[in-house]
Amino acid sequence: MVKTVTPGAVSAMRSAPSPDSPADVPELVVQVLDLKSTGTRNRFMFTANDGKMKLKGILPSNVESEIHSGSIQNLGLIRILHYTLNDIPNKSDKYLVVNKCEAVSPALEMEIKSDAGDLDCGILLKSKQEDETNSEVTVEESGNLWKPKQEVEVGNQVKTGPGIHLKPKQEMVAKSAAQIVHEQHRNMAPAARLAMTRRVHPLVSLNPYQGSWTIKVRVTSKGSMRTYRNARGEGCVFNVELTDEDGTQIQATMFNEAARKFYDKLEIGKVYYISRGTLKVANKQFKTVQNDYEMTLNENSEVEEASNEASFVPETKFNFVPIDMLGPYVNGKELVDVIGVVQSVSPTMSIRRKSNNEIIPKRDITIADETKKIVVVSLWNELATTVGQELLDSADQSPIVAIKSLKVGDFQGVSLSSLGKSVVKVNPETPEAKKLRSWFDSEGKGSSMDSVGSGLIASSRNGSRSMYSDRVFLSHFTSNPSLGEDKPAFFSVRAYVSFIKPDQTMWYRACKTCKKKVTEAIGSGYWCEGCQKNDEGCSLRYIMVAKVSDPSGEAWVSAFNEEAEHIIGCPADELNQLKSQENEENPYQQKLKQAIWVPHLFRVSVAQHEYMSEKRQRITVKGVAPVDFAAESRYLLEEISKQKAS
Amino acid sequence: MDIIAELAMDTSNPAVFVNAELLGRYVGRKVRAVIQVIRNDGTAVIGKSTDEKQMIVKGLPPSQLTTFVEVIGIADGQNSISADKWTNFGDNFDTFTYNKLCQLANGEYQHLFL
Repeated sequence: MVKTVTPGAVSAMRSAPSPDSPADVPELVVQVLDLKSTGTRNRFMFTANDGKMKLKGILPSNVESEIHSGSIQNLGLIRILHYTLNDIPNKSDKYLVVNKCEAVSPALEMEIKSDAGDLDCGILLKSKQEDETNSEVTVEESGNLWKPKQEVEVGNQVKTGPGIHLKPKQEMVAKSAAQIVHEQHRNMAPAARLAMTRRVHPLVSLNPYQGSWTIKVRVTSKGSMRTYRNARGEGCVFNVELTDEDGTQIQATMFNEAARKFYDKLEIGKVYYISRGTLKVANKQFKTVQNDYEMTLNENSEVEEASNEASFVPETKFNFVPIDMLGPYVNGKELVDVIGVVQSVSPTMSIRRKSNNEIIPKRDITIADETKKIVVVSLWNELATTVGQELLDSADQSPIVAIKSLKVGDFQGVSLSSLGKSVVKVNPETPEAKKLRSWFDSEGKGSSMDSVGSGLIASSRNGSRSMYSDRVFLSHFTSNPSLGEDKPAFFSVRAYVSFIKPDQTMWYRACKTCKKKVTEAIGSGYWCEGCQKNDEGCSLRYIMVAKVSDPSGEAWVSAFNEEAEHIIGCPADELNQLKSQENEENPYQQKLKQAIWVPHLFRVSVAQHEYMSEKRQRITVKGVAPVDFAAESRYLLEEISKQKAS
Repeated sequence: MDIIAELAMDTSNPAVFVNAELLGRYVGRKVRAVIQVIRNDGTAVIGKSTDEKQMIVKGLPPSQLTTFVEVIGIADGQNSISADKWTNFGDNFDTFTYNKLCQLANGEYQHLFL
């Protein structure tokens, strides 16, 4: 993640005071200063700092939770996604109303100042003092304490009474902004100081506006060389994933000359000094790595192997999921890491890729871990041929294999599949591997183990896939009123139907063929505008509004025919019949009553609707599934262990 | 007044959720466990614990036992319970989840249970 402000952000906002929508807003990262609450409970005002200029403003009410949780802090960074600049009456300055923003970084060590700093330092500090209502302090401080050229105040604004000297928390020689940002994130360990002699920059500090940098990175993933043909002719390209000491990753791409020059030079696992690359905002479609920027290396870029540096970068960071906990990840977006003892290795198979008829190698390995479950991992392409062969040769020694970034599928219940970015380590020297080895040698070897997939209850494709991905509580909707602003957002939630108003318009008359609304025809029957024909009868289809509740709160949702039928338990036509039976028992009310306090798994979409010139959140049920308590319990167990880890 | 006192739940002596591995820790104390019935001879039941080990439950089992049974009683050995309460849990039971529950309830979440 980028951890610095966008230079010129304030003047960019000044020159475009009223962007129409977030799409018109450029990249604007600013530092939050003077964060304080206004009189009203959930509004916070702040000063936006872009290193050179400042602007007073107010944050939207929906970031209250982020401020309380600490994602947005004073001296931290936020990205402004949508804003409006308002005039302040009787003053020439503007006021920044932030409509939408996101946290970028927690508190930095101090206020970011631009390079033309020395003189500004004094002025900036003084203007900070002027904000204080106590002018006595101002005069005293500027006179006695601040020597702009030498001392820089670090840390939060300190509120003091009159006559008390503000002592700077740290005395530092004034530095350039680049160096300040650079040092901010590091503890200066001896290895780092050595790197400093080469002025190595942390990946996190790189941005397109700073040209001369050197990074020290390990190649953690390498794509294959691809050739392409476009309007401009032919070319070749490959990319690599680079990771630096802090664990920050960035994708680097090389075309043509540069690709040929560096393809053989850059080897996976080796460490290099790289400089003279260019940065640009990452194309979100092709992003594989968590970084707002991506790098391009050209023929002038420098790549030098760092051969003498001892163990530099921490080895690939693994976050292992025990095999018996893989269930909830099936068909989800999240990639998993696993470690296990190899039980068997298949020979290489050749699979024809449907998209382009290409033949690619695949190998299946079966691994087991202390949970006494086994799972099949499919290794593709290079992993199948290189590591796969290695594992086959040593299979009788039951090697331990750790794999990062696997996709979880539902073949035979649970299956794992490698991707281009997957990393396989055989017999790694990690504590988990040691534990696994001793478990296997003592008891694992002989015990009988089950496939993890067989234990799982197989729900319908739709059910298992979507009911466990993007799972939230109802409070997530009520505390984020602007969810689904640009396009509908999808979530799954487990909740009880808690109230269905008996006297609402619960259905509409629909055409039997096309399901659209019909109007009463002149004479008898119904007219369908869509089908352009009359029909004697029509069917009733639900348009229902209901209240749902869960431990976190409640919300109103809309449900259409299929989903409402699941909730109520009968089609609209039947319910209508019950309604017209006006007898003592009131079967209509009874039916509705039976639908209450029944738990369901809902798939919902959340979007914004204009209603009487006011934006309202609208939650629509897109799918309903019964709660599978066993699967739900396993999901909860996974959530519990995730909580433990964090 | 006495009647009201009777109706209030007695939380003074909770039964510890155990599997075979944990049972040994609580010998002499009140425990509860779900077992899969393997053999029933009228005076004791031989069962399989949720962590796949053998457990013996002494006492008077009810006449009809389903595949899974929860027993509550005093742990009287490394793998036996003297039960005074038997509850049929049916033929479908997710032993995996129950086993994890035993581990969590005796591990870091113990304070929530005992």
